[in-house]
Amino acid sequence: MKTKLTLNILSVLLILSVVLAACAPQEVIRTVEVGKEVITTVEVETEVEVIKTVEVEKEVVIMVTPTPQPTTRMGAWVDTLIFTEQGSDAAVTQLKVGELDIYAYSVGNATLFQAVKDSPELAYTNSYGSYNELTFNPAEFTDGRLNPFTNPKIREAVNWLMDRDYIVQEIMGGLAVPKFFGVTAAFPDYARYVDVARALEAYYAYNPEKAKEIITAEMEGMGAALSGGVWAFNGEPITLIILIRTEDERRIIGDYVGTQLESIGFTVDRQYKTSSEASPIWVRGNPTDGLFHIYTGGWITTAVARNQGDNFSFFYTPRDYPIPLWQSYTPSAEFDAVALKLRNNDYTTLDERRELFEQVLALSVQDSVRLWLVDRLSFSPMRNNVTVAYDLAGGISGSQLYGLTVRFTGQEGGTVKIAQPQILVDPWNPVAGSNWIYDMMPIRATQDYGLLSDPYTGLAWPQRIEKAEVVAKEGLPIGVSLDWVTLEFAPTIEVPGDAWADWDAVNQKWITVSEKFAEPQTANIKSTVYYPADLWDITWHDGSNLSMGDFMMAMIMGFDTGKEESAIYDEVQAETLAAFLAHFKGVKIVSTDPLVIETYDDNWQLDAELNVSTWWPNYAYGPGAWHNIGMANLAETDKALAYSADKAEVEQVEWMNFISGPSLEVLKGYLDTAAAENLIPYAPTMGEYVTADEATARWANLVDWYATYGHFWLGTGAFYLYKVFPVEGTIMLQRNPEFPDLANKWDRFGEPAIAEVDIDGPGQVTIGSEVTFDVYVTFKDQPYPTKDINEVKFLLFDAAGALVASGAAVEVADGQYQVVLTAEMTQALQAGAAKLEIAVSPIVVSIPTFAAFEFVAVP
Amino acid sequence: MSEELQALQKSSDTSDLAQKTKSASSSLTRILKYTLVRLVTLFITVVVGVYLTILIANMGGYVDEIRRGEIRESVSLRIMNDPVLKNLPPEVRFERMNEMIRLEEKRYGLDQPFALRSVRYLRNALTLDLGRSQTMSSDSGSRQVRLIILERLPATLVLFATADLILFFSAIFIALFLSRRYGSFWDKLVVTLAPSSSAPGWFYGIFLILIFAALLRVLPFGGMVGVPPPDNTLEYILSMLKHMILPVTAILLSSIASQAFSWRTFFLIYSSEDYVEMAKAKGLTSRDIERRYVLRPTLPNIITNFALLLISLWAGAPIFETVFNWPGLGRVLFQAIGLYDTPVIVASTVLFAYLLAVTVFLLDFLYALVDPRVKIGGQGSSR
Repeated sequence: MKTKLTLNILSVLLILSVVLAACAPQEVIRTVEVGKEVITTVEVETEVEVIKTVEVEKEVVIMVTPTPQPTTRMGAWVDTLIFTEQGSDAAVTQLKVGELDIYAYSVGNATLFQAVKDSPELAYTNSYGSYNELTFNPAEFTDGRLNPFTNPKIREAVNWLMDRDYIVQEIMGGLAVPKFFGVTAAFPDYARYVDVARALEAYYAYNPEKAKEIITAEMEGMGAALSGGVWAFNGEPITLIILIRTEDERRIIGDYVGTQLESIGFTVDRQYKTSSEASPIWVRGNPTDGLFHIYTGGWITTAVARNQGDNFSFFYTPRDYPIPLWQSYTPSAEFDAVALKLRNNDYTTLDERRELFEQVLALSVQDSVRLWLVDRLSFSPMRNNVTVAYDLAGGISGSQLYGLTVRFTGQEGGTVKIAQPQILVDPWNPVAGSNWIYDMMPIRATQDYGLLSDPYTGLAWPQRIEKAEVVAKEGLPIGVSLDWVTLEFAPTIEVPGDAWADWDAVNQKWITVSEKFAEPQTANIKSTVYYPADLWDITWHDGSNLSMGDFMMAMIMGFDTGKEESAIYDEVQAETLAAFLAHFKGVKIVSTDPLVIETYDDNWQLDAELNVSTWWPNYAYGPGAWHNIGMANLAETDKALAYSADKAEVEQVEWMNFISGPSLEVLKGYLDTAAAENLIPYAPTMGEYVTADEATARWANLVDWYATYGHFWLGTGAFYLYKVFPVEGTIMLQRNPEFPDLANKWDRFGEPAIAEVDIDGPGQVTIGSEVTFDVYVTFKDQPYPTKDINEVKFLLFDAAGALVASGAAVEVADGQYQVVLTAEMTQALQAGAAKLEIAVSPIVVSIPTFAAFEFVAVP
Repeated sequence: MSEELQALQKSSDTSDLAQKTKSASSSLTRILKYTLVRLVTLFITVVVGVYLTILIANMGGYVDEIRRGEIRESVSLRIMNDPVLKNLPPEVRFERMNEMIRLEEKRYGLDQPFALRSVRYLRNALTLDLGRSQTMSSDSGSRQVRLIILERLPATLVLFATADLILFFSAIFIALFLSRRYGSFWDKLVVTLAPSSSAPGWFYGIFLILIFAALLRVLPFGGMVGVPPPDNTLEYILSMLKHMILPVTAILLSSIASQAFSWRTFFLIYSSEDYVEMAKAKGLTSRDIERRYVLRPTLPNIITNFALLLISLWAGAPIFETVFNWPGLGRVLFQAIGLYDTPVIVASTVLFAYLLAVTVFLLDFLYALVDPRVKIGGQGSSR
């Protein structure tokens, strides 16, 4: 009896302990106080004088380093960066207790986002760039089944059937914004044409009755009949097959789409598939087989794209993607022509571009072979005592500036622990090594740049160049925003005959333009880059001074690996070279001290800053000095190792790895050979720029470097690779004390200056009268400087949601604007609730800010 | 002794010797024959198992279709994010894209029919030429499957060997202890706790991490060593031991009760045999009874369990390793399956298959050594 009692007590205790343990994690989360709100979207509806409704939508952004902090510290703010592996759920827990400082991966989990927002220990950054859509199959099916989506009017009508706000709020947990077009809401093109976009968005706002009405009419026109509430064709129910991706929220989105289609009489077959399972059907399959009607698609853009005009050609026409589904696209002639013009930048002024955009935005929704749903918002959590510049598209891991800006607030030095889902995924080599974002993040900290990408606008800033001049062919609609580059236009740009246009891999000499072409050559762009006088004082991590040989080596490698006659020929690089030669016209070294380089090219971008070619010794996958690349070339030549995974597979050798694994011993052997021979690679050309003494010093430095650090990874960046622990999944980077810049150089990118907007005005407007509204644009409660604002636009919507007027607000003072609605404008309003919407497009950040003010229009 | 008698005795001795020689020769033949048949049988089993793995891992060749689709998707994304490629004239861009697709397909071997590749996979696997992976790299960046496995093997072995050996011997000793105290409080406790093993180790792991890492902050969240790993070997080992506490505990918690219960029941059955009762009646000490009359006849079972346990160490445990962020083989295999990396999947399988075959083969001989009732290749009683 006593034993039984003891056992019972023990059992109860056991159950209790399990229950308590189960409660533990939630208690941990609940004990935290509601933290500092870093980024949030607030929608407030407040009644004013009974008839006035104010709707404010504003974004408050993380406050990090308001102004550059004076310092004498050179290079990075912190001493050490440690990268390690961790999943997102575990990372958040570890961030809270201080085991980690940054989780650099862009996470899209709404529940986790809430946990981060609720934690007083944590802050976060937001990034855009990934988006979801519905890919329709517009092909006629060969088996006689009716495919409703061959009809563009039905595809267009589905827009009204999709409640994007519901998807954003209920499915994505607020981590998204509604999307209607093939341009990203956070990128410059959306801000440029925001008035056009908003008007169309209002027109295509959720309206299931309208959708049903149009679809019913069109379906009946196609010979279908609604029988017992179910659409049928030739007596058979019309079953729509939706391929629903299961890895993320698209699973719920797919279900929602299915439910909406069922609500108007379609029978839906939901097929849940992973990427691998769906790919053979929608990418490889023949759309006429009718294996699917809708696929829940997702795309990603990894950097702020300043020109998304070509997206319409890519996403809506068969022109740019040679797969069966794309080849079944049949855009209208008008749409196709406009998309082609935007794709080829076939316009001469920005006004002309605007007209094209006005057309293409409308035509793309009318075509709707692809129906956009949301622009996703991702977040990267971190400790709230850490600040770092992040990229609006690539997040922290995609930022070029993170290594130069990351720090503990108000502190110099220290160790920042950064976690990512994976690390050391593939071998590191600068020519064709790992391109995983997890590997590229630490790699970026070890390299320096000629130009740095503005993380908030996508423009370029000079890092290691002094100035640049761009000459563009007359008629190209190129503009300039920043003062480090000058822009001129010329009727024709002739490429000098002595410029280098190609590479002779046999004789290892450059081929000049006059040697390659019989006729004089012209280019669309000439960019002249002036490097600073102290350029050659910069040192590689092994102590070698940067030299002309490094630039020359990078230039040669761009050609040589793609030349079939080369000893290091690689089929994959041939492909890259072919793409490059399709637009490259020539390069000329004007001077070596100071270094001045002219580049001639047919490829051009809308911004002068993005037309500057720097030839900085960075390869596709990392930095490289002429000597460590020269050493690696020996291994590649002997087919002992291979730069690319493809060639390694063909030759059945190791994929070259500069930092660990079996490659190191092989490379060490070639280093000894190179040092013994005092090798100058590509001597017929490089010999003109590299002396024997420099070569001797370089090889000695690399031998010492390898002996000390055990790897061959060299850069000129703010950090050097200190240690690699492959199995443990850890990388350590140490601050480079020789880095030539002050630590605060890029502090101004501590935060994106996303505007906050407030509107004030009468709550009641008499139709036909003139009325004025005040608009306040601020950032951190300070007036937003007028010089940093591109434009402030207003849009006036009537009670039915139709756009009745739009225009520009008038500047009154810094951060203060007025919108004057003329009598003609208000005359167009209907009686009832009207809305004035303001769109502010800053220059210093690509994300526009919106605010809305509702008032009552009375006769 | 008469000559006749001597001759008879000599003849008898010779006959005995001949008999013995004949018997020995017969035994050797029997063993050799058995060995040969057993080896051939096991080899055929391995071949069938490995080829089935190849077929399953490739979904009978359908993975080629998946791979082709994925290649086209990844190429389109690459082009979409490359402003220079995007700006190329459509026909040039088409050409570039097709060429990129062709190169990728060639890299994956999709330019050869699956049937041909499957035979090559099988041949390489059987000859233990583990070859190169299709997409995965080892931690140190090598594509050699041998290194992908070998680099993770020590981490897997050190964790699972520690945990499983502790678990195995603890369970045996606890079981013996309980079998002597049938019906006692501790016996009932173990019986009560036995169902707790229905939860896997990673389940306990999550709670242990939350309690000891997140809440009490006395033990690390996971990983094999601290971050950054210590330079000093002794400190490295100490750090590793500290990181092993929670995973080893999780494995023990998840299995100790059921294992002890299982062995205890097994020993109890043997403890009730007549010869044990006889031994007890003869007044032998319980220690002697345990050693001679309980453990000895159960030794084949214990050895079998132990041998299979040693093999299972090689497999790792994907979810468990993920929860503890442990760089083990389980995660490698899990990743390989997700990526359809056939060479890695086949290598893991063939290694396991060979280990299992060798173990099964050796066990037959071990049984004969430890249990006199077992006769190799014999009729009826042979195993």
